[in-house]
Amino acid sequence: MLAAQLIIDGVLLGGTYVLVAQSLNLIFGVMGVVNLAHGSFIVLSGLFTAWFFGLYGVSPLLLVPLTFAVVFAAGVVLQPVLLEPLVKYGRRMELMSLMVTFGLNYVLVEIALQAFGSNYVTVPYLQGVWSWHGITVSQSLVAAGALGGLLALLLHLGLNRTTFGKSLLAASQSEVGALSCGIDVRRMRLAAFAVGVGLAAAAGALLVLVLPMAAESADQLTILAFVIIALGGLGNYRGVAVAALLLGLAQSAMGFLVGGDAETVLPYLLLILFMAARPKRFARAVR
Amino acid sequence: MSEIAAKGAPHPRFRNPRLLPAAVLAAAVLAAIPVFGSAYAVQFGTDILTFTALAYGWNLISGFTGYLSFGQVAFYGLGAYTVGLLVTDTAVPWPLAVCGGGVVGVIAAALLGPVMLRLRGILFALGAFGLARILGVAFSDFALAGGGNGMTLPAELTPTAVYVFMACVALAGFLANLWFARSGFGLDAMAVREDEDAAGALGINTTKVKVVAYILSALFPALVGGLVAWNRSYLDPPSMFDPTIDLQSVVFVLFGGIGTLWGPLLGSVVLMVVDEEFLVHFPDLALLLFGLVVIVTVLLFPGGLVSLANKRGWLLRRPVLAQSALPVGEPPAAEAAESLGPVLEVRNLTVRFGGLTAVNEVSFSVGRGEMLAIIGANGAGKTTLFNTITGFVVPTSGDVLFLGRSVAALPAWRRAQLGMARSFQIPRVMAALTVWENVLVAARHGRQRHRAVAHAAWVVRTVGFAEMWREPVSRLSPGHQRLLEFARVLALNPELVLLDEVMAGMTREEQEEVRAVVRRLREYGVAAVAFVEHVIAAISDLSDRMVVLDFGRKIADDTPARVLADPAVVRAYLGAPQE
Repeated sequence: MLAAQLIIDGVLLGGTYVLVAQSLNLIFGVMGVVNLAHGSFIVLSGLFTAWFFGLYGVSPLLLVPLTFAVVFAAGVVLQPVLLEPLVKYGRRMELMSLMVTFGLNYVLVEIALQAFGSNYVTVPYLQGVWSWHGITVSQSLVAAGALGGLLALLLHLGLNRTTFGKSLLAASQSEVGALSCGIDVRRMRLAAFAVGVGLAAAAGALLVLVLPMAAESADQLTILAFVIIALGGLGNYRGVAVAALLLGLAQSAMGFLVGGDAETVLPYLLLILFMAARPKRFARAVR
Repeated sequence: MSEIAAKGAPHPRFRNPRLLPAAVLAAAVLAAIPVFGSAYAVQFGTDILTFTALAYGWNLISGFTGYLSFGQVAFYGLGAYTVGLLVTDTAVPWPLAVCGGGVVGVIAAALLGPVMLRLRGILFALGAFGLARILGVAFSDFALAGGGNGMTLPAELTPTAVYVFMACVALAGFLANLWFARSGFGLDAMAVREDEDAAGALGINTTKVKVVAYILSALFPALVGGLVAWNRSYLDPPSMFDPTIDLQSVVFVLFGGIGTLWGPLLGSVVLMVVDEEFLVHFPDLALLLFGLVVIVTVLLFPGGLVSLANKRGWLLRRPVLAQSALPVGEPPAAEAAESLGPVLEVRNLTVRFGGLTAVNEVSFSVGRGEMLAIIGANGAGKTTLFNTITGFVVPTSGDVLFLGRSVAALPAWRRAQLGMARSFQIPRVMAALTVWENVLVAARHGRQRHRAVAHAAWVVRTVGFAEMWREPVSRLSPGHQRLLEFARVLALNPELVLLDEVMAGMTREEQEEVRAVVRRLREYGVAAVAFVEHVIAAISDLSDRMVVLDFGRKIADDTPARVLADPAVVRAYLGAPQE
């Protein structure tokens, strides 16, 4: 029973992680940029959701499309200003974009701190549980996990079934190849960043239902997303989905067996262990 | 004048006459603060020195060596906690405890470095970040050091002593950066930053360079952390492993000028003063300010304040070990051949990538005095073969013998030091360094400093770069960059030269120039040359022998005339016998 309980919790948690990771994967894949500010978009959206819910009692699920739209628009503005100018630096762009998003992360976290304070918040919404033979499943976890998984699936279908999505994938595989097929790679980079951070915001609105969140959680969420795409394989959307579910399971088990701190540190530990064990694989993945 | 220089005249230290008075003035200001200044002045001075020291530490690994670290706070925390534990549990005096913190930081970096530095680029940056977070959590759960509640220290507030120590650490940081900016070792580090693979091919032990830089860059945060602990009465994991400490190092170095000698100092002093003024009005917005400074700096002036000063001719970087005039140089001494056997022997070499067999049971040898051409269609395995011989690809089976000894287990840099030099398909020169430094970095290995300088000078003159020896490589034309690769190959003074498609995409005239250089290689002591080439016409009269590869297999090995008449070769190359 306990095992079943942990597995269900883990899979549902993993569902939200899939969205967190795929949104970073999209940006990394098309732009070659690790967006170190990814977690701060998640946190800003999560804290906003909690604040808005506290004020008006609006269903957080309705805020998912709203936060997506707002942050998507922010992405459309930010990408040409902050990241596109770095493309001209070629090989050095990788580290320069890392520094720019590192700076952006602090700006956004500071904005989150000023706007919403430094406390951990969560949203008391869908507090009921469904019980069945001693297994209890929280309704909010089901809502967040299922919606997160669904949005990730939509992204997957959008990338693989639409012309625009296929152009995005093409741009992520070869810039020159995509250019010679008449794909506007610059527009693809813009789209990837805007959709990526938009989905990060959607993930934030969902995550705040199940995880207490504060402005300082931003870095941890970024690392979490990066670890998942590192484990699942860059550009490998199925592999990343599996890795997200596995990480959800591992965290749910570690949280039960060892306690909260171990749960927090698990992504970092996995990051270093896996990178040290298989550096070649990651070296290729990152180009 | 240049004769003396070639023999290794002492390096002129203070060529800039303004430097000595400036140093005296700086020392006077530093000394005046604790003597005449208020308690506030001493504290503010300590803060500036703290971040100057941290910035100089960060600049070693991330500026000069090119490994961006967002986790140097790990060593800061280790240093602080070492001091905390030493002064509470034992009777060690504070200064000794601070040194103990430095030792712990160095040991930790020596243990972690070889693992962490297997990661490149983004992965190292994130790995270092993760490491700091892990340590922070570990100390929260560490009962010995008070865990998450923190530990109380026997407060001994002696701000002047801390100020003096901090000044010493900051000065040491400056000197370490001076060493990186002016020494051969620092040149190796910069070569790793510019192009790690090419640095390996030039005989630089890249692992050693990276680990030494990492250890040195860990020493400064560890010492600073210990001194900060001395100045406080309480340690807790959130403030001792605070990621914003790394943010500040990054901001200050970037703003001042990353990878420069003066950048960290300028950035720290200017931004600390701005920050102090800014904070009076907006007490909570320091992080916002720093974040914006990082973004604006990277986007608008990625070279920082130093690059702005450079435009006016100030604070220009001095090329490593470069005298005011190019030394005359001396040609390499003719060495008697060590053995009469083949220079290179490849035995049954096989390389598989997953299911693809790129090189299949290939054997051949290159004799002394021989020029061997390896030809084949696209995808025949030529470049993989070269990469395996030079140590960039690990073979699945088979052996590579160089001068009679097996080198299959040696890393690329060892093979280069033994006398195996290579070029790359696309010239991989170190763009931010000068022509002189690109040559010197290859000439340094196995030579004393004055010999390396003389040899490099000879190479620069021989290849025809005497007029532009101090030019940054980024200003060279593509043809000159290719020529510079030849210069680096000569600077290694190799027995064997491997040239990878050097004539691809060149005009007829450029091909002629390269052919002339290749013909002269033997005059310069090169015992054998092997080249991979696509343009058969350009090499058939250059080579003594030709090896033909087809889908990873050797299908011919004979004189050019016979090989080119071989129907199997014609079929492999042109696809149809009618051609």
